[in-house]
Amino acid sequence: MIITFLKHLFRSDQLRSENAGAQRKKPHAQTELSKNLGENLQLFQAIYADCSDVIFHDFFIGGKKRAVLIYIEGLAHVEEVDQHVLAPLQKDIPQGWTLTDVRRNIAVSSIKPVTTVDHVIEEVSAGNPVLLVDREKQGFSIGLSKWEKRAIEEPSAESVLRGPREGFIESLLTNTAMLRRKVGSPNLKIKAMNIGAYSRTKIAVVYIEGVADPALVKEVMDRLQRIEIDGILESSYIEELIEDNPLSPFPQLLSTERPDVASAYLLEGHVTVLIDGTPSALIAPATFFSFVQSPEDYYERYVVGTAIRWLRYLFFIISLLGPSLYVAVITFHQEMIPTPLLLTMAKSREQVPFPALVEAFLMETMFEALREAGARLPRQVGTTVSVVGALVIGQTAIAAGIVSTPMVMVVSITGIASFMVPRFTMGIAVRLLRFPIMFLAGFLGLLGLILGVILILNHLLNLRSFGVPYLSSLAPAKSRNLKDVLWRAPLWMMNTRSTGKRNFYRQTAGQRPGPAKSDEGG
Amino acid sequence: MEKTKRKTVPLLLALSLCTFWLAGCWDQTEVNDLAIITAAGLDLTEDHQLELSIKINVTSSSGAQQMGGSSDPSGGGGGQSIVRSVKGKNMADAASKLQQVMTRKVFWGQDEVFIFGERLAKEGLSEPMNFLLRHPGPRERANLFVSKGSAKAVLELDPPVERSVADALRSMAKERTGLNITMKELAQMMTGKANAAVIPLVEIKHTQKPQDSFPFIHGTAILKNGKMIGRMNAAATRGILWLRNEINRATVTVSPKNSEGTVSVQLLRGQTKLVPHIHGDDWAITAQIDAQDDIIENTTDLDLTNPQHIEVLKSELQADINRRVRTALTQAQKKMKADIFQFADAFYRQYPKEWNRNKGRWDEIYPKVEVRLQTNVKIGKSGLIGQNLF
Repeated sequence: MIITFLKHLFRSDQLRSENAGAQRKKPHAQTELSKNLGENLQLFQAIYADCSDVIFHDFFIGGKKRAVLIYIEGLAHVEEVDQHVLAPLQKDIPQGWTLTDVRRNIAVSSIKPVTTVDHVIEEVSAGNPVLLVDREKQGFSIGLSKWEKRAIEEPSAESVLRGPREGFIESLLTNTAMLRRKVGSPNLKIKAMNIGAYSRTKIAVVYIEGVADPALVKEVMDRLQRIEIDGILESSYIEELIEDNPLSPFPQLLSTERPDVASAYLLEGHVTVLIDGTPSALIAPATFFSFVQSPEDYYERYVVGTAIRWLRYLFFIISLLGPSLYVAVITFHQEMIPTPLLLTMAKSREQVPFPALVEAFLMETMFEALREAGARLPRQVGTTVSVVGALVIGQTAIAAGIVSTPMVMVVSITGIASFMVPRFTMGIAVRLLRFPIMFLAGFLGLLGLILGVILILNHLLNLRSFGVPYLSSLAPAKSRNLKDVLWRAPLWMMNTRSTGKRNFYRQTAGQRPGPAKSDEGG
Repeated sequence: MEKTKRKTVPLLLALSLCTFWLAGCWDQTEVNDLAIITAAGLDLTEDHQLELSIKINVTSSSGAQQMGGSSDPSGGGGGQSIVRSVKGKNMADAASKLQQVMTRKVFWGQDEVFIFGERLAKEGLSEPMNFLLRHPGPRERANLFVSKGSAKAVLELDPPVERSVADALRSMAKERTGLNITMKELAQMMTGKANAAVIPLVEIKHTQKPQDSFPFIHGTAILKNGKMIGRMNAAATRGILWLRNEINRATVTVSPKNSEGTVSVQLLRGQTKLVPHIHGDDWAITAQIDAQDDIIENTTDLDLTNPQHIEVLKSELQADINRRVRTALTQAQKKMKADIFQFADAFYRQYPKEWNRNKGRWDEIYPKVEVRLQTNVKIGKSGLIGQNLF
């Protein structure tokens, strides 16, 4: 039955994609602009039919030749257009002007010629007014786009105590500018492309030439170019379409809202993909350890960074195995519990009607539900949820005899542990994997638990992100790269880059600071 | 190829998932379905049956607590425990009958104390030990005791300070004032060359209030060929500890000649090495006893900052240790003829050929083995108070 269902699923999938292919065909692909303005106008008016926000402004250049300015209201800076485009063209233009004169008379620095219909549409959609002149096969796109955008704020999901407080915003240009400000070198390359048949979303692929592996850049570009979709609304769309193993629960691209994190990865030779309309940037390749590292690790002293990192590793394991270990030990391996603890546990479980597995499952589900409810609800209602949740998970559940005290403790610790993972995508993956392991542990005891761990490890070892093994630098182990995994080495010891062979040394060795070894010292 | 894979993977997945529900969880037991044994006692009844008594903690809360709907069912954990006993032909028989009188599954995994009644010990411990070592439940790390009188009587005690009688006995054994013998160690001793063993002896200290009576370790039961042949008192047990290299905590008090008062020293480290020698028919053992002591009390007129006085003290201490060791040695070697110090293993290790030639005669040789004591006491810290201040 399952098989037929799957078959059905795949077949309908194919059908759907064929349909989509038909829709995607662009009618004006490479059509050149006509010399006749009336024809052009007719064409664009047909294209933008029923688009009330598209303005066709008809006017005469120098009172003689007809011209049309096409722009989208709300996306173009109208005052600037009036002042620096229309005014000079209508009044100040000399007699017997040419197209070059037109261009020179427009008091705007960003001005590009456009020749194809497609290009015009692209520029107009981007908010740039396009000027078409009669009897000319060429128009101009004027870089006067302006739209409302959010101010730069600290990303709430990645807050730090020490470190820059700025975060990416929804505007691609602002984001690339932020990266450019961090990495000033002209070697910072930003390749632009549009993805999405309808959304025409602007994508920027950012990397540092000479540091990033060209093969990696090419692979990222290739994968991006393969995407044929109607629209890209968030970086996760891209992520799901270019990752190596789409069925894995583990994220294979790191998403960040912090320009400093993105820059740090750029300097390590990674490629960053910025997507217009979302503040989260994608970083490829990403390894397992990049998801359990926080920028704060590098901004705090290295001892603190190392300690916190290990704390995180420990709680990562707890969040994956906590309830499973409890269930396995309490239902199969009671001899492993110290006698006094076992007696207390037995006492508290005395009134609980369910087996430990059911109890754990109940509480874990409840916890996940509370977390989800708290995350989605408006803030005012959220407080109610947390108060009620505390009662449900806490005292009353025990008093009602539905769960035992140790179970509440295990669930709470696991809950806290899962929030220790700094990246939400990784945290939620671990939280989900906890459930199958819990079942394995409930059915097979520690054997099942280990079985689950082996399966997950196997998967992790198989997983790759843009050709980079997911568990590197631990497996395959490179002693040199463990400096950023087993501990957070002091900056003056981080002499080499972890990815790629190109530009292997990131700094001069022997930069350990210390007092000057002067002769007259002492 | 791709298509068959697509078919088989979900099929295998579905089949393997079925194993869970088809096979069930055969080993699964909830903790509240267990009768957790904390201590077990074995006695020999008048009609030569084995009586197995177990002490189990009652985990279900009392009726009053349930009615109150208390939000704290964890409780203190102390107090309620009961003793159940069954009789059987042998240990296995008794253990299986035990389940018949229990409502919950008998769980041996937490049993950390086994007490053998003296009558049973004299009859022989190899039968119950055989069962206990074969059974996967009981721990090899469990402590063993022989009780003066019936083991059941010890189990029925509820000593006031500790959580249970098992805890009380265990912590007393761990304190190492007497012997601390686990099941594994007894098995090793019983299978060793010497074929003699020691087990701490438990007595009941009766107080005026019967519920305050408590068990305490007092002396040692000496076993030979798995049977108890005698006992040694607490003082002789100290000698056993020295010779078996198990001394851990000791306070030695001596009153030196030519002076009044006493000096007490506390043992920091003690180590004993048995060095065997064979010269023709003369079998001898040198016991090298090294001890390092701290002075904790001095009421004599010895000046402990004076090296000469320290020398005097040293020889006194050495003599005292030797005396203790000799007491144990004479009893074990001459009277009971049980090689509880594992001399046999020492000889076997050093002189395997000679041992093999003479192993049949060991019972003959053992009482004649000459034991030389080389005791060396070091006084580590004499403290800042040289002479007695008062």
